Amino acid sequence: MKRWINTVAVVVTLGLVALSPIKLALAAGNKYTIALIPGLTTDPFYITMHKGAQAAAQALGVDLVFQGAPEFNPVTQVPVLNAVTARHPSAILIAPTDKVQLVAPLKTASEAGIPVITVDTFIGNGHYQTGTGDADFPLCYVASDNVLGGEIAARALAKAIGDKGKVYVSNVKPGISTTDQREQGFKEEMKKHSSITVLETQFNDDDANKAASQFQSVLARNPDLAGVFGANLFSAMGASNGAKQAHSTGKVKVVAFDAPASIVPELKAGNVDIAIAQHPAEIGYFGVVAAYAHLAGQSVPPLIGTGFTVIDKGNVDDPNVKRFIYSD
Amino acid sequence: MNISNKDPLLDLEHISKRFGGLQALKDVALTLYPGEVLALAGDNGAGKSTLIKTISGVHKPDTGTIKYCGQVIHLETPHQARDAGIETIYQDLAIADNLDVGGNVFLGREIVKRICGLPFVDRRRMRQEALETLQDLDIHIHHPENPLRSLSGGQRQSVAIGRAIHWKARVLIMDEPTAALGVPEQRKVMEIIERLKKSGVGVIFISHNLNDIFQVSDRILVLRRGEKVGERLISETNHDEVVRMMVAG
Amino acid sequence: MLVEKKITKPAPLAGGEARKAFRWLAVLAAFRAWLFLAILLAAFELWARVAYGGTFVFNPLNVKSIALFTVTPLLLALGQTFVIISGGIDLSVGFTMGLSAVVTAHVYNWAAQSGNSGLSLVVAVAAGLGIAVVPGLINGLLIADLRVPPFIGTLGMYGVARGVAFLLAKGTTVPVQGGLMGAIGNGETLGFPNLVLLTIAIILVMHYLLSHTRYGQHIYAIGGNVNAALRAGINVRNATIALYILSALSAGCAGIFYTAKFSAGAAQAGEPVLLDSIAAVVIGGASLFGGSGTIIGTIIGALIVAVIQYGLVFVNVEPFWQFVAVGVVIIISVLVDQIQKGARK
Repeated sequence: MKRWINTVAVVVTLGLVALSPIKLALAAGNKYTIALIPGLTTDPFYITMHKGAQAAAQALGVDLVFQGAPEFNPVTQVPVLNAVTARHPSAILIAPTDKVQLVAPLKTASEAGIPVITVDTFIGNGHYQTGTGDADFPLCYVASDNVLGGEIAARALAKAIGDKGKVYVSNVKPGISTTDQREQGFKEEMKKHSSITVLETQFNDDDANKAASQFQSVLARNPDLAGVFGANLFSAMGASNGAKQAHSTGKVKVVAFDAPASIVPELKAGNVDIAIAQHPAEIGYFGVVAAYAHLAGQSVPPLIGTGFTVIDKGNVDDPNVKRFIYSD
Repeated sequence: MNISNKDPLLDLEHISKRFGGLQALKDVALTLYPGEVLALAGDNGAGKSTLIKTISGVHKPDTGTIKYCGQVIHLETPHQARDAGIETIYQDLAIADNLDVGGNVFLGREIVKRICGLPFVDRRRMRQEALETLQDLDIHIHHPENPLRSLSGGQRQSVAIGRAIHWKARVLIMDEPTAALGVPEQRKVMEIIERLKKSGVGVIFISHNLNDIFQVSDRILVLRRGEKVGERLISETNHDEVVRMMVAG
Repeated sequence: MLVEKKITKPAPLAGGEARKAFRWLAVLAAFRAWLFLAILLAAFELWARVAYGGTFVFNPLNVKSIALFTVTPLLLALGQTFVIISGGIDLSVGFTMGLSAVVTAHVYNWAAQSGNSGLSLVVAVAAGLGIAVVPGLINGLLIADLRVPPFIGTLGMYGVARGVAFLLAKGTTVPVQGGLMGAIGNGETLGFPNLVLLTIAIILVMHYLLSHTRYGQHIYAIGGNVNAALRAGINVRNATIALYILSALSAGCAGIFYTAKFSAGAAQAGEPVLLDSIAAVVIGGASLFGGSGTIIGTIIGALIVAVIQYGLVFVNVEPFWQFVAVGVVIIISVLVDQIQKGARK
């Protein structure tokens, strides 16, 4: 029995010795290591964000670690976060996949002395360093202002339809913070346009086929439909296809939120009239900058809002616009 | 009818079968003639079921020979037995009760007709031929296009028998065919067995019900602990003697 | 004595009030899907006339839209009908569809470099169907040879196909370059959408397979009593493997259609449609215990699901009621089935 305990002790000690160089290496040379954990690793939005973060890391001379799960799910994201925390980086940038479930594991990191910054999505209510609630400990939230994005979409659509007529929002499903905010911003802005009627929102479950059918049903009831706002890629894809099948392409204006590479041919063919691109590279860049500023002893604002670019057929080939298309 | 004048359909000699430490069959002999009903009797565990599984190709005997129509055969699978004409009607009947009469009788051997070169299952012909076979056994189905689940237990039993006969079974093994049936239906099955006899099929009949055995069988073979303990012509024995053989030898 | 008399005649063993009620219920159950559809259409028509003074059923855009909307869930449901009749289930079809959509898009783009778009289309379609066979075959082998329960085996394949599809698509949609794919996917022939016409052709093949071939007959037997099928000498193993390949091929067609329709393949294309497709099969009269179901029933079932979802948008009902409505129809369908079974005993 005693010998057994001894053996275990030796193994554990060896294990600790084996692990410690990593920690030492991370701390050595006074060079900071910043970890970026995306919502999912394969999405062009986050890949573009990674590129922006890399640019900042290079400029500031810090190491950047990019680690994440292949799907947008707290069940797969939390183990990745725990593994990263165990290696004790200088700071963590993360796009939390759940407002609630990521609070505890991020708090563990924060209490271990690792500053936490959330990018794109947030925990709690997204208001940090307020001294209230148990999810205000992150330093900073760097993201597109989705309410603003919705307003921009509304203004672009209003202009395209001559400031009058019926429009509706094609959305994924209720409860997703970003798409809910886009819808909210869109509707608030449309209140200022008295000749525009906003019809009931249609939820498509991220099914482009359903979004297409819903478009046709709304059109069948409202032959004077003037425009539709697709709050994410599949909503917009569905609406534009619905218009195609109903032979109303061009007559009904389609605004798409987000700008992956697949949106370009749609814009050029006139199936989608306007795409609102977020600036994920900007999010990554300013996330790293904020972390560096904090590590260098500077204060950091709790919220950094990044911008949007409105893309249409006319400017899609302009290099200043084209760079905001998310890259693979 | 003088049975001994004909050549036997089945002739088993010195059949033994051991499962581990259990001697399931020990030097059993069995003969079955065309047009004869042979009852197998015995208590639970006497070896009835092992014996019929040996005949139907489920078990291979350790020793002994099986002659079928005068020739020694080695049955490796139940399929071989069926193809040779030895058919077993199990208690669970093995019918698909979501198919109709034709579908069941022709299951696995469906008739197809060609329309523009494409094969189509010919349901009407399958139904007709199945009904003809059943009619020969004096079995009548009222809505033959309905799935069998709408039929009574006895009628389903008859369809299973009809299928065996349609495919020219010469030996029919029936394991407790009347167990799950009501009295009128039991009678009907007994009638069918009488008819099978007349058409020259050899029937091996397992039942717990001595009344049934005495009503329909020609001979009775009694097993006890894997051994044959007696064989009698039904006309030369009675209930008491059979029971005595079953319990005491 | 009475008993003795009965056996002298071919006694009709059925009869009486209970049997009569059973026959009525059976008729009702057999046509319940048609009845539902008719009631639904009548209700929406009435609603549209009273509330808006317009028509629902006689609006050509509605008819066309519903037909197009039905295509994807129906294609998933056609293969699923075979599987469910055999007593199994295939949960992997959603992502088999996505996998097929992504592969079709990639292969089309690759082949289109040759400049021959017609040939590219043929190659892409072949690749889309070919890749669908892989999960189908593995499902079949798992279930037929390794005795994995269909629910578990196909759930595992759901994960695998999903992962592979996302990896191949790099987590995004794969846009198709060049117009032929989109032209066919959104084009019309004699006023009918091409995808609807192609779906009708697939329906005819599936109906023939299920209702008129020996294979179809064997599938019913396997679902009714697998022991009976085995004892009748049916090769249940091969038939089972063929089933899951058929189901995957059917999903593969849905994936190819998706890519043609949206000019882009997406890994998650079929994910939200899986439950609708199973609902279509069940509403169409198939029993999840196996042994019953028809292609025509499944078509009606898919139409019911589509009409509910489309119609409720048309009459402007709060969107969440769509889920409630589909759920209620499924429950009623299963209840009718259960009551009918109860009456039989």
